[in-house]
Amino acid sequence: MATPSTPLLKDELDIVIPTIRNLDFLEMWRPFFQPYHLIIVQDGDPTKTIKVPEGFDYELYNRNDINRILGPKASCISFKDSACRCFGYMVSKKKYIYTIDDDCFVAKNPSGADIDALEQHIKNLLTPSTPFFFNTLYDPFREGADFVRGYPFSLREGVPTAVSHGLWLNIPDYDAPTQLVKPLERNTRYVDAVLTIPKGTLFPMCGMNLAFDRDLIGPAMYFGLMGDGQPIGRYDDMWAGWCVKVICDHLGLGVKTGLPYIYHSKASNPFVNLKKEYKGIFWQEEIIPFFQQINLPKECTTVQKCYVELAKLVKEKLARIDPYFDKLADAMVTWIEAWDELNPAGAGKA
Amino acid sequence: MASEASKSATPLLKDELDIVIPTIRNLDFLEMWRPFFQPYHLIIVQDGDPSKVIKVPEGFDYELYNRNDINRILGPKASCISFKDSACRCFGYMVSKKKYIYTIDDDCFNSLIWVLIIDVVVIFPDVAKDPSGKDINALEQHIKNLLSPSAPFFFNTLYDPFRDGADFVRGYPFSLREGVPTAVSHGLWLNIPDYDAPTQLVKPLERNTRYVDAVMTIPKGTLFPMCGMNLAFNRELIGPAMYFGLMGDGQPIGRYDDMWAGWCTKVICDHLGLGVKTGLPYIWHSKASNPFVNLKKEYKGIYWQEELIPFFQSVTLPKDCTTVQKCYIEISQQVKAKLGKVDEYFLKLADAMVTWIEAWDEINASAELPNGTKK
Repeated sequence: MATPSTPLLKDELDIVIPTIRNLDFLEMWRPFFQPYHLIIVQDGDPTKTIKVPEGFDYELYNRNDINRILGPKASCISFKDSACRCFGYMVSKKKYIYTIDDDCFVAKNPSGADIDALEQHIKNLLTPSTPFFFNTLYDPFREGADFVRGYPFSLREGVPTAVSHGLWLNIPDYDAPTQLVKPLERNTRYVDAVLTIPKGTLFPMCGMNLAFDRDLIGPAMYFGLMGDGQPIGRYDDMWAGWCVKVICDHLGLGVKTGLPYIYHSKASNPFVNLKKEYKGIFWQEEIIPFFQQINLPKECTTVQKCYVELAKLVKEKLARIDPYFDKLADAMVTWIEAWDELNPAGAGKA
Repeated sequence: MASEASKSATPLLKDELDIVIPTIRNLDFLEMWRPFFQPYHLIIVQDGDPSKVIKVPEGFDYELYNRNDINRILGPKASCISFKDSACRCFGYMVSKKKYIYTIDDDCFNSLIWVLIIDVVVIFPDVAKDPSGKDINALEQHIKNLLSPSAPFFFNTLYDPFRDGADFVRGYPFSLREGVPTAVSHGLWLNIPDYDAPTQLVKPLERNTRYVDAVMTIPKGTLFPMCGMNLAFNRELIGPAMYFGLMGDGQPIGRYDDMWAGWCTKVICDHLGLGVKTGLPYIWHSKASNPFVNLKKEYKGIYWQEELIPFFQSVTLPKDCTTVQKCYIEISQQVKAKLGKVDEYFLKLADAMVTWIEAWDEINASAELPNGTKK
């Protein structure tokens, strides 16, 4: 197969970065990010000035902006938590989003070359996924690979890819108990694979190095109610990931995971993390079966309809765990209303 | 914790594992495997002309069965064992007395990873010794895979959490971290990839040069194409499901033996709460089979698999199928009921599946194998 170079998509992709401190990390990404428009979501104290390195084209939103733009609906956007990043998804006008944390740097591949994470995400998003049957040589659309013997031919067209979930070298994305037990563990294993997560299988979606097709799945990328005034933290991306996967499975969209790697430099404080995750450790035991058993009705033909249906089910079935889920279900609806207001023409996947 | 388990050396399991090799020509390839295979007992299944003498390299402990032996041992039930097709290897699974099986093709060699100073990973066949080269011990990796749990209910984005230097990631439910017993370890191949005939015809030059340093569990509910070239399994947990079907001489199809076994195996593993891993180890696959010959063999399968896959995807096994054999018989009944209309081959195959189980149970009657239990 011919291997054309990967398109830059510089006018079709926004990079969304939540930050509360500074954006120094952007210097390292400059060769890769400078062509793109950035959406900075400034968390925390809105009076603080976040300095954006010279030469980047960006829009920046602090809490005052979020409140101004969304009015009462701003209640669905988390405060004092990187979950606020999803506001950036909502206000973007582009087809694709790449989101990255401000402690994530350019990684090197085994031959020592810098990894252009964005390029790999774009490759992942622009090639189909294969959720219905597992290909043992992983992504068959990668150069030098293909579908293996025994892979049904009718399934080789694949489905559109909605999400590209990248990974992290160095500090792995562990929960607090694991961090406490294994504080020294570093991820040094470069796994040269991209693969589709099969239909019907959930996964823990990490927001540190994540790209998605906003047209296909954007409204499902709500990062929940976390941080200030909320009983839980560090489950924002998880929540979005479970909703996204259920909806993708229902709508026939694909989720890929694997390459690219970024270099995760900062280990968050496990004691702080445990406080944030504490309830989640118990709640996820009920949340997972809930998501695993969801059956969305046929009439849910758009992402928004799926999402609102999910919100209903959350209220019905999870509120008994904790009133938080009642609030969350309401916030999910608020999010969709806000999304549709800010994005009137886009009605999601029909 | 995973990190502690990995610090101990992987057990050899030399008295618990048999290596099953089908062959029709010769076993020269064993010379290259000698450092890794010599501790183990080999079961050679000689396909084709039984009057030919297959020379086994010196120093290996083995039993060898040709067609006459198979006929003698199984009597009329020998009809379920393919002739003139490597599918005959499953006879070796049946007569083994060990807990684990490793099966490999006679054109598969061990790979050498050359880790150079600048950390480039380059893979060559083992053509020369070099101190910087690190032999891939495929068998050792398979054993590691089989001795550590699988995680089929939720996808771990760092792949096998039981490997050295890895773990479950944030968001992975704690109640699922015990995993389930691993029944199958499906290894991969560098150099000649396992492509079907159309792909081989279209891309004759493609070689698999990508070493993917991962083992992962294939999630519950997802089927996969199981290749028999580099495959290990826990015979006690899943052995009876590893029937490689009716292929070769007198049969309308070939190159679907391992595929058939893989679909049956995965459905049964999913039902019984057992795990299937895929990924490492790699072997070096040296011989590209003839794509024109392959197309003839696969031709019907190309159409049939379009119906077979939905069939297997929709198989549900009743609660009372609590052993592998019961599951397998149930599948054979469903094959007869639902696939007979695709081709009468499937009626024959369904019967052969039952014959296989009867033969398995006869041969393994004294062994009192524990059966896999339903989740």
